[in-house]
Amino acid sequence: MRIYEELFIARPDATEEEIDHFVEQLTTTVTTTGGTVDKVEKWGKRRLAYRVEKHREGSYVLMQFSAGPESVKEFERRLRVSDLIIKFLTVRIDETLKRLEKRKKDRDKRAHRKATAAPAAPQPSVAQQMLGEPAVGQ
Amino acid sequence: MAESRGRPGSASQRPTGGDKAVATNKKQYFRRKKVCRFCMEKIDDINYKDVRLLNAFIAEKGKIVPRRISGVCAPHQRRLSDAIKKARNIALLPFATTV
Repeated sequence: MRIYEELFIARPDATEEEIDHFVEQLTTTVTTTGGTVDKVEKWGKRRLAYRVEKHREGSYVLMQFSAGPESVKEFERRLRVSDLIIKFLTVRIDETLKRLEKRKKDRDKRAHRKATAAPAAPQPSVAQQMLGEPAVGQ
Repeated sequence: MAESRGRPGSASQRPTGGDKAVATNKKQYFRRKKVCRFCMEKIDDINYKDVRLLNAFIAEKGKIVPRRISGVCAPHQRRLSDAIKKARNIALLPFATTV
């Protein structure tokens, strides 16, 4: 099972109900293949950085789900077929999340070690002493 | 950052503005030491959805700012350029804009 993030742009003239209905359809495609939808986030209408299919705006929707690679294939096919969607991007994020978690853990551990290793007085740096003048800020 | 080289004589009078002095034969000019923003602020995640952060690293025309100008370290520049390219793909950032 992998975690994916899907960001897609719906046509600006699509109504709220249409988008909701479409998101529901996508959710069923994920759940029928044994995956789960973790997050649905609607960003609302945004200006596009460039024209896409002659549209200057679009409604962004972000979905996060965990599923196997096969179900992503089906998911993307649906997005491609639908004329409601003008653009989409799928990103696999489980490895990124893992990396970030590790970074955070390491950082916390280091901070913890620093705190427990006796609160020593701040030592003036050698360079500063040699110069004999306070370092210029910034 | 196009730092004009000081003409002989004028360089010593200009304010330093930085902590690192680089001396090249006779002409002396000062350069501020650049540091990676992501290392300094301990930003682990360079996300393609964070448009405001990425905007700081694209030039007026939409190009990615080179590392020699922004001062970003190599590992972070790699992740940054990946994020910018993803953001371009989904129309959050422009590929190129005419000024």
